[in-house]
Amino acid sequence: MSKEQLGQFLAHSVELESEARERYLELSEAMAEHNNKEVAEFFGRMADESRLHLEEVAEIAEQHDLPDLKAWEFNWPEEESPETASYEAVHYRMTLRQAMLLALDNERAAERFYRSFADSSQDAQTRRLAAQFSAEEASHAAHLVKWLGKLPADPEHPLEEDDPPHMPE
Amino acid sequence: MNQPLKLKAKDYKSEVKPIWCPGCGHYSVLSAITKAFAGLGIARDDTVLVSGIGCSSRLPAYVDSYGFHGVHGRGLAIAQGLKVARPDLTVLALGGDGDGFSIGGNHFLHACRRNVNITYIAMDNEVYGMTKGQASPTTPEDWDHSKLTPHGPGVRPFKPAALALAAGAPWIARGYSGNPNQMARLIAEAIEHPGFSFLHVLSQCITFCPEQTDWKSIVSERDEPALSDADVAASLFHHEDGLQTGLLYASPRNAWPGPQAKVQSADISEGFRL
Repeated sequence: MSKEQLGQFLAHSVELESEARERYLELSEAMAEHNNKEVAEFFGRMADESRLHLEEVAEIAEQHDLPDLKAWEFNWPEEESPETASYEAVHYRMTLRQAMLLALDNERAAERFYRSFADSSQDAQTRRLAAQFSAEEASHAAHLVKWLGKLPADPEHPLEEDDPPHMPE
Repeated sequence: MNQPLKLKAKDYKSEVKPIWCPGCGHYSVLSAITKAFAGLGIARDDTVLVSGIGCSSRLPAYVDSYGFHGVHGRGLAIAQGLKVARPDLTVLALGGDGDGFSIGGNHFLHACRRNVNITYIAMDNEVYGMTKGQASPTTPEDWDHSKLTPHGPGVRPFKPAALALAAGAPWIARGYSGNPNQMARLIAEAIEHPGFSFLHVLSQCITFCPEQTDWKSIVSERDEPALSDADVAASLFHHEDGLQTGLLYASPRNAWPGPQAKVQSADISEGFRL
């Protein structure tokens, strides 16, 4: 039973970190395509951070038997894995501050997810690893809060177009 | 003997990078398709994605499988022909609301009626996005964002699920770009359904319909089993708000062509000889 719990936890952890990386990469490439270079670079950096965390989790997971779950068989608190930036939350004109706030939300969601295992799992190894991963996500969130404090305020209506995309008559 | 390597969702993505607007719901459909393929363990070279024209119809280029970016509204015709010629392949037709319900509307009706064993994914953002935001067949009556329809289109939008049911579609589901994992499951089920399967996807257009970001708070999963009685389903589709997701209707019937009418590629070549 404890082996099963650990396997489930690690399978979710690998998927969480992998999806976070994939989404940040996708967003970085999309932002670069739409000439929002500042946000593209930030999402690229977040993808790199996620890759490092993914490698760490995958290395631990390799030593255990993980269940082979399909994408829709994972048990997430919401529709998608917690650290994955929601498609509804991004816009091609979003500012660096908005991108950082989005990333902060993701880090905090991941921290809560891992903490729920740390607080409630019946398996000691799962609790230990979950507490470790949760602390790492909390430290990422703290870094983001520090960066956010150094950013200038956003313009009043950052998403408004100077030249709206609708076709004239 | 070595076991074949199990492909992950990202392995089904091609080297071509999407040029959709960041925040576009079609990214989610791309993600869901690759997740469904990975979940089913489908071989990349046994799969064909066929599309029409429009933002969503770019999707086949982004998947590492065979693909055909077809003619506006004709994705379904091409996909059905391909499936009849090569029943061994998994064939998906893709497109948007303008491509599928206006320009290709007649093909949509007859694909539902004919029941060839393919999956049709209609990515509905209620607008012609590629041509910069004109009203489509599913645009709300009072949508006044476009200068071409400053007071809204003034006509009732199509209800794709109701249309599909009336035309005879045996499998009808609805997904939402905010829930790619549910959508992946629906696509996997659609592929496994032995006949025409229609997946209507609410896929937000962040650029021309920014109000669709509100879907996140109003779209809900229907937590009842799929309907199998067409009369009951018709009543649901005519009276619902169109924002419930899940498998809505399933009433399998024999796909076309039947097993007795096996068509060989050579027969088709012969038939088309001038």
